[in-house]
Amino acid sequence: MATVSLRSVRKSYDAQEVVHGVDLEVADQEFVVLVGPSGCGKSTLLRMIAGLEDISGGEIAIGDRVVNEIDPKDRDVAMVFQDYALYPHLTVFQNIAFSLQYRGVGKADIARRVAQAAAILDIESLLDRKPRQLSGGQRQRVAMGRAIVREPKVFLFDEPLSNLDAKLRVQMRTEIKKLRERVRTTAIYVTHDQVEAMTLADRIVLMHNGRVEQIGTPEDVYDEPATLFVAGFVGASAMNLVAGRVENGAQGCAVILGNGARLALPASRFEAHADMPVTVGLRPEHLHWSHYGTPSLQGTARVVEPLGSDTLVVFDLAGCELQARLPPRLVRRAGDPVSVAIAPEAIHLFDPATGHRL
Amino acid sequence: MTRPSGGWWATRRNRQFALIVCFLLPSLVVFFLYRLLPLGWNVILSFQAWSPLKPAQWIGLENYAEMWAYDDVFWVALKNTLIFIAASPLAIAAALGIALLVNSDLKGAAVYRTIVFLSYPLMAVAVGIIWRWMYDERGGIINYALRASGLTTRPIGFLQDFDWALPSVIFAEVWQVIGFYMIILLTGLQSIPPNLYEAAHIDGAPARARFFRITVPMLRPSLFLCAVVGILNSFGSFDLVYIMTNGGPGHATELLITHIYKSAFVQSKFDYAAALTVVQFGLLVILTVAANRAAGGNVGAVERD
Ligand SMILES: Nc1ncnc2c1ncn2[C@@H]1O[C@H](COP(=O)(O)OP(=O)(O)OP(=O)(O)O)[C@@H](O)[C@H]1O
Ligand SMILES: [Mg+2]
Repeated sequence: MATVSLRSVRKSYDAQEVVHGVDLEVADQEFVVLVGPSGCGKSTLLRMIAGLEDISGGEIAIGDRVVNEIDPKDRDVAMVFQDYALYPHLTVFQNIAFSLQYRGVGKADIARRVAQAAAILDIESLLDRKPRQLSGGQRQRVAMGRAIVREPKVFLFDEPLSNLDAKLRVQMRTEIKKLRERVRTTAIYVTHDQVEAMTLADRIVLMHNGRVEQIGTPEDVYDEPATLFVAGFVGASAMNLVAGRVENGAQGCAVILGNGARLALPASRFEAHADMPVTVGLRPEHLHWSHYGTPSLQGTARVVEPLGSDTLVVFDLAGCELQARLPPRLVRRAGDPVSVAIAPEAIHLFDPATGHRL
Repeated sequence: MTRPSGGWWATRRNRQFALIVCFLLPSLVVFFLYRLLPLGWNVILSFQAWSPLKPAQWIGLENYAEMWAYDDVFWVALKNTLIFIAASPLAIAAALGIALLVNSDLKGAAVYRTIVFLSYPLMAVAVGIIWRWMYDERGGIINYALRASGLTTRPIGFLQDFDWALPSVIFAEVWQVIGFYMIILLTGLQSIPPNLYEAAHIDGAPARARFFRITVPMLRPSLFLCAVVGILNSFGSFDLVYIMTNGGPGHATELLITHIYKSAFVQSKFDYAAALTVVQFGLLVILTVAANRAAGGNVGAVERD
């Protein structure tokens, strides 16, 4: 059990800096997910915590101890690799027992602890097999077993599910959640899949180009994305981002989209930004079908994609192209009229120059 | 063109089979004419008394009996061949050391790799001549270096001395083949996923354990491939020995292969040489099969999870 602290951690390869000063405090027993697009430096950061990469600048501490100069084996972390890194010539038992043998654990103890880990992961029947005789999901479990048997201070996961097919991935995601209830160890988990991040994390760290864009609970980053990047990255279907202008008139504060569509804004919050050009963020799931009588926006459907439970409609609104997630069978084909409304609180405004939330 | 309708030719599979046979035929013919046929004839010949211009006569195991009971050179040659084979583990270990160095972040690793490998494509005859010069008693660079450094006072006749001759020839042979071993082992090393080492590092395995529990087992097929090549080389190093010592002094560097050559082409005992060849061939098959078995039947394969 331990906290993990990153203080302006930097990483350069030769002259090229790829991680530009990351600050992060991971609480004891917290499950933090680093998420971001490919190449943003998530793995690099994780590998620095593990001790597999030198730290070019800043400080990493596990518990109270600064570990910059400490060998990986003495950091008391366990890592699960994307391709599992199982030892191919050793059996599952030997794979799981491997680390214990170098930590002065007695034979009987090793057997007991391996059996215990195997029981937790439901792989007791596989202990005599070699990795190549296992399915992808089973290998994944063995890799997990190898990590939990150590009872380390910190778990590090580098995209552990990305080599599994979609169905198994969802299943293993649930398993990891369950596992988390039994083994409450501080964990840092890297993924580029925002759904994985949202479902697993206590807190999410959104990274982009070697910088942290936002740190917060899944609700935080969904409800109040700090930057345009976060707004575009988080959410099952991408947020609509269109140009607009704030207007503070007789009818109250509003934002004008394209050639005249008017969305009312919450009172007083954006008055200071009157007449300012902004980027407007609207989540497709927040654009709801408006019934007769409520003030609504009228548009024309362009593309209709029925998903069963609901329908994705791409429609034209005052010259802007927007996507909405609507109940099924309301809009049937391109050309149909679309009538939607959005709650003022669900409108996100960003400064187009800086990308920051207003 | 006439093409029978229906029948054998009609199915796609059979037509493909015919095509495959067509492609294979040239090499099969060559293989049959130059490998199987001589081998078969050789086996028959080994049970006969025959010399050119005389009719062959069936004599059963007499050639083998002579080998067993009367031919001291055969036993010397067999012993020398086995010593040759026994030297290859040392060569492989040395090659592994070089491969590990070249595989590390050593500056200029690519250059060293090329240099080490360069000896392999050389013709054995050239290697033999080079080493004969270097071993030379009067003008050789090795004797020069030994005397210059004060290690010896009198020159050593490496290829003339009964004790030195075999090790000297083996050394030259190892020098040539070590580049090949190194390339094989290097390929093996590079196919070991680096994150196995990272995992082991985090798991707390010290460098020694990483070598013996990851590198060596993962390299097993490559190591045994080298061993098999070593065995084959010991049976086939005719040209090197022929150039360097021609089996001498006395029979100090006689190998089975040079003994076969001399029996056949110097003494014209073709029938006896055939029997020797059968013995050498049998030994070769047994040793390579044993090596392959020891490697788990996958010599040269790359183990992955
Ligand atoms: N050994 C290296 N030498 C030079 N540059 C590197 C090295 N390793 C990584 N990089 C660079 O560092 C940046 C971050 O890489 P990193 O592997 O951390 O990305 P990532 O976020 O894990 O991406 P992915 O989701 O694709 O795994 C990338 O631009 C990459 O090109
Ligand atoms: Mg990565």
